[in-house]
Formats: sequence, C-alpha cells, structure tokens
Amino acid sequence: MKRLPANFLLGALLVSLVVGVAALSLVWTPHDPQAMSISTKFAPPSTEHWLGTDQLGRDVVAQLMAAARNSMTVALVAVLLGGSIGVGLGLLASALGGWVEDAVMRLADLGFAFPALLFAIMLAAVFGPSLTNAVLAISFINIPIFARVTRASANQIWTRDYVAAARAAGRGRFAISRDHILPNIAAAVIVQATIEFAVAILAEAALSYLGLGAQPPASSWGRMLSEAQTLMYLAPQLAIYPGLCIVVAVLGFGLLGDGLRDITDPRLVRAR
Amino acid sequence: MIELSNLSIHFGTAVALRDANLVIERGDRLGVVGESGSGKTLLALCLMGMAPESARMTGQLRIDGQDMATASERDWQRLRSRRVAMVFQEPMAALNPLRRVGDTVMEPMVLHDGLTRSAARARALSLFEEVGIPDPDRRLRQFPHEMSGGQRQRVLIALALACNPMLLIADEPTTALDANVALRITDLLQRLARERQMALVFISHDLAAVARATEDIVVMYAGDMVEQGRTAEVLGTPAHPYTKGLLGARPDPGVAGRDAQGKRRRLPTIPGAVPPLQGLPQGCRFAGRCPVELPHCAAQRPAFVQSDAGRAAACHLLTEGRHD
Repeated sequence: MKRLPANFLLGALLVSLVVGVAALSLVWTPHDPQAMSISTKFAPPSTEHWLGTDQLGRDVVAQLMAAARNSMTVALVAVLLGGSIGVGLGLLASALGGWVEDAVMRLADLGFAFPALLFAIMLAAVFGPSLTNAVLAISFINIPIFARVTRASANQIWTRDYVAAARAAGRGRFAISRDHILPNIAAAVIVQATIEFAVAILAEAALSYLGLGAQPPASSWGRMLSEAQTLMYLAPQLAIYPGLCIVVAVLGFGLLGDGLRDITDPRLVRAR
Repeated sequence: MIELSNLSIHFGTAVALRDANLVIERGDRLGVVGESGSGKTLLALCLMGMAPESARMTGQLRIDGQDMATASERDWQRLRSRRVAMVFQEPMAALNPLRRVGDTVMEPMVLHDGLTRSAARARALSLFEEVGIPDPDRRLRQFPHEMSGGQRQRVLIALALACNPMLLIADEPTTALDANVALRITDLLQRLARERQMALVFISHDLAAVARATEDIVVMYAGDMVEQGRTAEVLGTPAHPYTKGLLGARPDPGVAGRDAQGKRRRLPTIPGAVPPLQGLPQGCRFAGRCPVELPHCAAQRPAFVQSDAGRAAACHLLTEGRHD
C-alpha cells in the first residue's frame, strides 16, 4: 500500500474536525447559540462555558459551532451551484468547439476580471445584504474557474482513442460528454472543488465581516470577528477564536485539495 | 455499396489523399497497405466520416448510393455502427478505462436499434461468444484493465459488430499485439467477414497478415493509390516499384535471410522516407525514392493502367512497356 501524502492526511484530519463539529451542531450545541445573558457577559472559560461568553453573554463554543454549520452550508451550495454551471459550460465549450468554445472562454475571462468582492457589494446594494446574495456572489466567481478547468481537461480527453471509438459507434457529442468525458475529468474537477471550497469559506467570512453576508442573529465566523473587533483590548479572545476556526477550515480544505491532486496526478508524486 | 470516385482530402494546399477510386461490395475483403504516412488511416477515417475538421473533401464518397462527402455529422451518426464500423489500433487506448466493457459494447445497440438493456445484454453475450471471449457473462462486467490485449481487441471487434454493419474497417488491428495473438485476431476478422457476408477493410503494414485475411488489396503511397488487384497476384507479381520495394523490405528469419557464411544479411529497405505533404512531386509521388525512375516521372502523373482481371497500377514503366 502506497503511503498517502502528509498534506492529504493533515487536510483530511482538519476537514473531518470542522465538518464533524458542523454536523454535530445540527443536533447538539452546549447552549443555544443565540441565548443572551447580560449578567454573565465576558465570562472566562469554565465548565459551563468552555470558551467563555461574549459581550452579550452568549456561549462562544455554541456560536462557533453554529457558525461552522453556516460556513459549510454556504461553501457547499456555492461550490455545487457555481461548479455545476461551470462544468456544464466547460463541457459544452469542449464538445462543440469553434465559436461556442471561444465565446464561453472569453466570458470566463470576463468573469475572472471582475473582482468577487465588488460583485458581492453590487448584489448587496441592489437586493440588500443577505446570506443568499453572498452565496450567489461566491457561486458566480466559481463559474469561470470550473469552466476553465473542465474545458482544459475535457479537450485532452476528446483526443483519446476511446472517444473516437465512441464516435465510430455513432454516439453524439453530448452523450460522449456525459458518458466518457465527465467520468474521466472527475478527478481534476473534484480537486478543484475542494480547493474552491476553502476559497468559498474565506469569501463567506470576508463578506460576513463586511456585513454583506450572514445577518444577525445568524452566527458566522466573519461576523463574530467584526463584532469582536471593537472589543479587541477588552476581550481579544473573542476575535482569536473565530479567526482560528477560519484558519483551520481554510487550511484543512486547501491541504486536502493539494493532497488529492498529488494522489490523482502521478506525475507530481514522482517528481518529489 | 461503397463507392469512392476521385475522392481527395485537402489540408490547406496539401493533398493528403489524391483521387482515390474504390468500390467495396458486401463480402469483399480488402487489404490496404503502405508505409506510415501513406494515407491508410485517413482513408479509414474518411469512410467513417471522421476525418479531421480541418480536412476538405472533394470528389464523391457514396454509401448505399447516398453521397456522404458533404454529409453532416448527424447524417454520419446514423450510418456509423449500423453501416460502417471500425476497430482501432490500440486496444488499451480505445476502451474507456472507467467503463465496464459490457456497457461500452451495449451502447450502440441501445442507441441505434432501440434495444432494452436486457436485450442488448443478450446480444452482447452472443457477440462475445462469436468473437471468442470465454466466460462472457463475467467478462461483460469487467473493466478494460482486467483484460489482456488480445481480449480487449476482441471486445472492440464485438463493439464494432454491435449493430451488424455492412462494412468493418480494421485500422492496424494487430500492430499493438504480439505475433501469436495477432495471427488469431487476423483469422477472426477474416472468419467474421466471411460468415456474416460483411465487407472488411483491413489496414496493415504486415503484408503476411494482409495476405492471410484479404482477397483484394490496395497499395498506397503518400496519399496515392499506386496499385490494386487480387491480393495473391499483387503480392506474388507486383507491378509497381513501390510494391516491389515493400515486399523486398520484409525481414526473413530463415535461411534465405542469411548469406553464404550463414551471417544475417542487412534488411533491404526503400531508401528515404515518405516526404512531407508540402514537398511532394507534382507527378508520381514515389519519384525521388524510386529505384527505376524515368526522367519525366516527377513532373508527369502516371495513369492507372488496367491489366488483366481487375489489376491496375499507376506507373510510367507500365505504359512504356518496360517491365523489370
């Protein structure tokens, strides 16, 4: 049995920690994350409140757990939505070639040129800030990324003999895309999705920090950070905890994506 | 059934296939031989409507009386697998590594003949038996990497036969296989064509395999058809200098391949290589490499000279009456 790369193992560990906590928050949190108790505000860590309470007396652990769930949900929906549109466009571009391919790829360039944050601010300005708009903005920036990766990988697969054999069997471009191209580029797409998951977590935190994402009373690491910012000298731990969570989640998915790439691309492993 | 008249393939200014004339009837077994770059594979792809998109086709390619030279991809899709089918050179590369071979073989049956999955499965089973794959029930569920090269080539033959085509094109089907397996695949293709009354176009540079599998032969050089006729006659008494060169360039492991001292002779070759398409002479394309070249060969194109019973060759030596 080949040894798995260290980045994959560490990434998998961190990801399972974050995802595990997020899943656990669906059924159990030590306290209600929204329950305020002014009399016990800024409480230090205790057996009752493991990481203490914030300026409104809310339990920090419960909030971090609820925020993890929100963060995972946003990243998942954004990557799935943006990813499937991007993969679809990439497959279409690769299957049809010619002007369709040119048009899709130039649109992707346009999408790349547009700063994600600016797009989110624009959406917030038009439709009002909300988590849904944050998800849409993050999905949107994922479309060109996935379209490019898909089209590049798919173009390689189109040159394979088994695609020629499928054409010789009378199959059309779309059937070949579905049955032969997609399964053979899945590895590259999954690697990209894992990395974009990390980016989406960071983007959600940034948008919520700016007040463009999760709205009160929903918990979010980014919003916890921005609320703690004003209390930096009084209770720095309130900023440190969500910050650490963001680092662990982003690092975890980033390492997992890198590790998956090392595993699925034999050329990289041999170069080590 | 399939008729090529003056079919040419152009890539920009280069002519990769020049004025091909050919008639293939049901039951014909036709060998196509020539060096790499002689246009054999391009001819095969043309018959499948799968020439590269940058290729421009002139002349006529009739399949069942319908001119396909200008046909759309959609029209071709209807013909592929049902009328014309193809077996590729590399059995490993021609099977999707992530798909069970049974699913691959059943695809065209469901697509073209509207078979249900169970009906397609039954037909795939009998096809696997027909092409000599033992234990077909288990093999249908396997992935390509679980099979040997010969088995995979048999799967590809079963795939090509899925919708009972009128013409089977085998593009160097034995090149990637070891000699023993190659022989059996050659015999299998020959037997299938005979039993099914199906036309077979057998492309190869293995003259022995062509002699074994086919009745008629076309010799190609740099996109020209230079000689055609009955396989036994053409290979027995070649008329074109290029055909003679090809026959002379076969390795002979026996006594004939050794000199008086019992040492191996150097393998005779045709000097040079097929020139690039842009650098071809206007006339006979073999000019420049031909051992018996006449002064006007490079400038003037030789006509196809019909000799006895369907034999023909394009060489000035034949019209000048100088056989050697």
